[in-house]
Amino acid sequence: MRLIFEGRPIEFTAGDTVLAALLRAGVHPAGGGCLCCGGDCPHCLATVDGVSYVRTCQVAAKPGMVVASHPEDGDPPLPAGNVFNAEVSARHVHCDVVIIGLGESGRAEAEQATQAGKRVVTLEATAGQEAIGIYEGPLVVARTQEGMLNVHAHEVVVATGAAEIQPVAEGNTLKGILTARAASKLAAAGIDLGRVVAVGTPPQGVKAEIADGQLIRFEGSERVEAVVVRDKDGNEKRFAGEAVSVGLGLHPRDTLLRMGNGLAVRAVGEAARESDIPPCPASGMVCSCSRVTVDDLQTIWERGFHELELVKRATLAGTGACQGSVCLPYIRSFLADRGQVLQAPFTARPVTRQLTMAEAAAGVHHRPVPRTALDAEHRRLGARMDRIGGWWRPWNYGNTLEEYWAVREGVSIMDVSTLGKMLVSGPGALELLERLYPTKVSTIGIGRSRYVLILDERGYVFDDGLICRDAESRYYLTFTSGGSSFAEMWVRDWAGSTLPQSWGLAPDSNNRGLDVRILYQTLSLGAINVTGPLSPELLSRAGLANPPNYMQHALATVAGVECRVLRLSFTGEQSYELHHPAEQSASLWRRLLELGAELGIKPHGIETLLKLRLEKSHVIVGQDTDFDTTARRIDMEWAVKLDKDDGSAGSPQGFVGRQAVLRTNKTPLDKQLVGLEMEAPAPIEGAVIWHGADYAGYVTSSTFSPALGKVVMLGWVKLFNGELPDEVTIEGRPARRVSIPFYDKEGHRARA
Amino acid sequence: MPALNRLPATRIVATPSALDAAIWPPDRLVFRLAADEVLVTPPAPEVSLNDPHALIVSDSGFAGLWLPMKEALAFLEHECEWELPHGRPAFAQGMVAGIAAKLWFEADRVLIIVPAPFAADFEERML
Repeated sequence: MRLIFEGRPIEFTAGDTVLAALLRAGVHPAGGGCLCCGGDCPHCLATVDGVSYVRTCQVAAKPGMVVASHPEDGDPPLPAGNVFNAEVSARHVHCDVVIIGLGESGRAEAEQATQAGKRVVTLEATAGQEAIGIYEGPLVVARTQEGMLNVHAHEVVVATGAAEIQPVAEGNTLKGILTARAASKLAAAGIDLGRVVAVGTPPQGVKAEIADGQLIRFEGSERVEAVVVRDKDGNEKRFAGEAVSVGLGLHPRDTLLRMGNGLAVRAVGEAARESDIPPCPASGMVCSCSRVTVDDLQTIWERGFHELELVKRATLAGTGACQGSVCLPYIRSFLADRGQVLQAPFTARPVTRQLTMAEAAAGVHHRPVPRTALDAEHRRLGARMDRIGGWWRPWNYGNTLEEYWAVREGVSIMDVSTLGKMLVSGPGALELLERLYPTKVSTIGIGRSRYVLILDERGYVFDDGLICRDAESRYYLTFTSGGSSFAEMWVRDWAGSTLPQSWGLAPDSNNRGLDVRILYQTLSLGAINVTGPLSPELLSRAGLANPPNYMQHALATVAGVECRVLRLSFTGEQSYELHHPAEQSASLWRRLLELGAELGIKPHGIETLLKLRLEKSHVIVGQDTDFDTTARRIDMEWAVKLDKDDGSAGSPQGFVGRQAVLRTNKTPLDKQLVGLEMEAPAPIEGAVIWHGADYAGYVTSSTFSPALGKVVMLGWVKLFNGELPDEVTIEGRPARRVSIPFYDKEGHRARA
Repeated sequence: MPALNRLPATRIVATPSALDAAIWPPDRLVFRLAADEVLVTPPAPEVSLNDPHALIVSDSGFAGLWLPMKEALAFLEHECEWELPHGRPAFAQGMVAGIAAKLWFEADRVLIIVPAPFAADFEERML
């Protein structure tokens, strides 16, 4: 059997690890460094079958396996192929106790927990179940041969044993240096180690010359040729050999324990032991992962980095492939020597092993993007779909200009199912809405609707929509598509909050909120906007001869579908939003297209809507507004009734944001969202607005208006000496500030 | 390919005490989505509640799929991070495959419910 190393075949025998196969062929996969054969050190890392940072001592050799060394300097290159298609599955299991490591102490823990009737999961690295991290929960994530395993446990027991302390001394990057356990394992595998010299605890089952004394240095060129120790009399002694075995003590494999700080994680057996602390090294490579030498530690010490955590950050020692398994005892020893205090090991963080991208992404999904009930209809009509406002929506149906003129001169429909929708009822409904909205909700008559801004506690606009009054104590609310989820939380939070008594608490509420019922219907209801001067004709053909008047709403049957019909206008033309059960969206949509065929009906997408609404200078919250947008700055103070609680009906707190508005209104206006015009082409949205040589603001919305034959824009403009500039420059071209709306200034078409 | 179909239902929001006291039609599945909210499927629009302000609406905003228990558990083992209820029948809610889902466990099958706008994404994630 053969594997391929650096392009040449290498024989191996059954039972060989990749490392054993390479060593048998006289190859050190990393070019040098003490090998541990326990998965603890970074000195046998290589790229195996395209996956880098593989511990070759832990992987069984297979015929045809392709192995390559990592570059001497720098990281291995990313794989050339599309490895991201290599999906790795993730699995979740739940238990009382997860035991990591099935050595003697781990087995004992497992047996004890099982006898106690607990649900036990065990993970053993040598069986291919490698725990790579502990997270909140606690959750133990393990890499297994079947994929990633997520173990949700009430308790984690770390029984991972202890690792051998590696040698840090001059020459420790040579080939031929082994820990005592590694020497034993490799000899047992039948690998000829040559003449072995043992420093410290000798390897079991290996004939070795004992070099009695403190390790001073290794000598050799590429491969170790001798080791020098200092005997008890202080004399250096040189021992020649072809391999050096070092047994310098043990330190706990407690990375996972240190990762689970504050969680139900404990260590048992050797993993719970105190670390042996080796003598402070005088020279040599301390951290071969980050290439940190003893000289580097000294430099950092002299610069004032005396805390272990800071040394780690300054040098990156302990952040590499082995996560401190080699360097940690030596850095502690170094700092204890210099500072006379033995510092606790540094914090460990997931992950303890390098993962492939597929392993890291196992079980992870992209954020889902909802689709309206009309999604298939749009795609059938050839719409270009895009993710807008958190939904898949039609950007256009192929010809934006045709869509535009259908709205302006004929009739068009648009899927507006994404709008936020909510029913609120109950004795406290009016009180709640009065406190949430800056409008006088009590003056909205039954069957009437009102456009409203929604302010946060700072008085900034964070959403807008409609309030439709259904009955004395029942309201239907709409919100923007992108803001509806937050708006739902907003309304529920305020409704459920402990409130002042003046907020109209129910007698039995125990001050736990207002007596209201809230039903979020955004995902349940479809909505189609019928718009254009011929929209009444289309509705008449659909059976609705007398639709509600402007800013009114009614329940009605349209094309056989029970709808809530809202008369409003965002496009600047007569518009009727038909809110209806989502399962009937497709039949309503198709029927409207059939009935409107003679009227030249065309559906329109977002691209057209943005043009239409900009001609009317309707603000889109989030596009035209910023995080500090007040009603005053967008010239919509008419929507904020600061006097609505003036004495008679409300609490001193008024509506949310009122106090902030009162306070900020005392400061001079500094900038405003204004209308701008210029000749084509339209500048990009976000383009800087200049007043002479001064920065004046930026364009928030920009389009060429087919109806007006020029570019219309909204943009933020600063006041200069208390005045808004009339003439500005955008993209090097002149632009004028004009009154808004740009189209149908009197609103005759919208209100027709 | 698995297909989630819209779930015809009645959705009710009322005071918790009114919902606690309600008598539900025996041939319906009644899921308590929240202290003040119930989903009844198939629809039960004539439910009598001791709450004059209750909101009772027909609803098709959810989509559902019945799966045999073994198949469901195999799927949930990969896509559900939280521990499933052990009793039967049982109702549970939480993220499944990254999507807010509701699970109804019967003796030998499971009804998986997600908001209908997310059904397409959920179906893809079931593959």
